[in-house]
Amino acid sequence: MDSERLHEQFMERIRRGEKIEATDWMPDDYRKLLLKFIQMHGVSEIMGAFPEKEWVPKAPTLRRKLGIMSKVQDEMGHGQLLLRVAEELGAPLGVTREQLITDIFTGRTKFHNVFHMASPTWADAGVIGWLVDGAAIVSQAALLDTSYAPYARVLKRICAEESFHMQHGESIILSLAEGTQAQRQMLQDALNRWWDSLIFFFGPPEISESARRMMEYRIREKTNEELRQKFLSRYVPRIRSLGLTVPDPNLHFDESTGKWVYTQPDWEKFGRMVRDNTGPKSQERIALRRQAHEGQAWVREAMTRSTAVPVGV
Amino acid sequence: MQLKEAEGLYHPYEVFVQYDHLAHHQHVGSVLAASPDIALQLARENFLRRDKAVNIWVVRKDHIHATPYDVPEFFANEFDKDYRRVDGYADNARRWKAFKQKALHIEDIVNDLEKGG
Ligand SMILES: [Fe+2]
Ligand SMILES: [Fe+2]
Repeated sequence: MDSERLHEQFMERIRRGEKIEATDWMPDDYRKLLLKFIQMHGVSEIMGAFPEKEWVPKAPTLRRKLGIMSKVQDEMGHGQLLLRVAEELGAPLGVTREQLITDIFTGRTKFHNVFHMASPTWADAGVIGWLVDGAAIVSQAALLDTSYAPYARVLKRICAEESFHMQHGESIILSLAEGTQAQRQMLQDALNRWWDSLIFFFGPPEISESARRMMEYRIREKTNEELRQKFLSRYVPRIRSLGLTVPDPNLHFDESTGKWVYTQPDWEKFGRMVRDNTGPKSQERIALRRQAHEGQAWVREAMTRSTAVPVGV
Repeated sequence: MQLKEAEGLYHPYEVFVQYDHLAHHQHVGSVLAASPDIALQLARENFLRRDKAVNIWVVRKDHIHATPYDVPEFFANEFDKDYRRVDGYADNARRWKAFKQKALHIEDIVNDLEKGG
C-alpha cells in the first residue's frame, strides 16, 4: 500500500478516536512529534527533581524530609516510565536511552522553564509542590486521552502518584500560611519569584505549527491558553484565600469574555533561557545530571556482566 | 499421541489480556499449548468467551522470572509510609476550611478539563 493511502487510513483512525499502539503503522511525522514531546516530558521529570532534591537535606522536620524525598523519587520514576515510552517510539529511528539522556547535556532536548529556576527557601519548595505540580497536573491530566496508547497508560499511573504530590505541596504551604508573619512573608516572596515562570510554563498563547499538528493527531487536545485558563481558575482563588497577593496588578477575571486577563511574561527572555539553558540554575543542574550519568557508567557496564542472583539472597 | 509423548512438547503459557487500549495487560491465568500461536488461540477461547479485549500476550511460564513467596522481607515496609500517600495529608481539608476553601483533588482537575473550553 502506498504511504499516502496509509496516511489517510491512519488519520481516519485518529478521527474515529482510536488509540495507536507502538506496533501500529504511524506516519514519521506523528512518531517524531510524539518522540520529541515525550522526551521533553520525561527529561523535565528528571530535571524537575533537582530544585526539590536540594531541599531533602534541609527540610525542617523528619516527616517533611520523608515527604519531599518520596516526591523526588516519584518524579525520577515518572522520568523512567516516560523514557521507556520514548525509547520504544524512537527505536525505528535508531534512538537509544543513552541518547535520550545525553541530549540533555548537548542541549538537543529542552526541559521546562520552571526547572531552570532557583529554589532558595523552604517556601520555594512548597510553592513548587503546590503550584508547579499544580500546573503540571493540569497539563498531564489534559493528556490522559491522548491518541498514543502507551503514553496514555503511563500518564494514568503518573496522575495517580501526582494526587499525592498535590496534597504534599498544599500541606507545606498551609503550614507556612498558618504560621508567623515571617513564614507568611517567606511564602509571599516565593510566590513572587515563581509567578512569571508559572504563567510561562503553559507556553505562548499562539498555536505553534507543531502544536497544531499535535492537535490534528489528537496527541493533545487543549491549547496552551486553555490549560493556563483552567490553572488560573482553580488556583487564583486558593492563592487569594490564603491572604497572598498574586504579583500581577492586571490579573482579573473578565466576566464578559469568561477569561482571565494577565500580564504577559517576558516570552523572549524565558524562551531564550530554555533554548540555550541559560537560566539561573540550568548549567549547575545539567552538570550534576552529567556527573551522575558519567559517574555511574561503570555500574550500567557492570550490570551487563552480572549473573542472575535469586531475590532475597 | 500418548500424553507421555507430548511431554516436553507442550508448555504452560501465562496469559495476559489487555481489555482496552487505556489499560495495561492483566494476568488472567494460563493455558497448555504446543506453540505460541496455539496458546494465543486457546487463551482467546478460555478467557474471552464473553469479555471484549484488544490484545492478548502469552508468555512461556519458564520465561517468567518471579520472586519466591517465602521472602516477605522483599516486600517489607520498614515503617508507616503515610507521608507518601494522600491519606497522610487528610488534615489539608480542615486546614483549607480555615481559609474558606475546600480540599482539592486530582479528580477535580480531570473534571475541569472534561468540561471543555
Ligand atoms: Fe511528575
Ligand atoms: Fe509531581
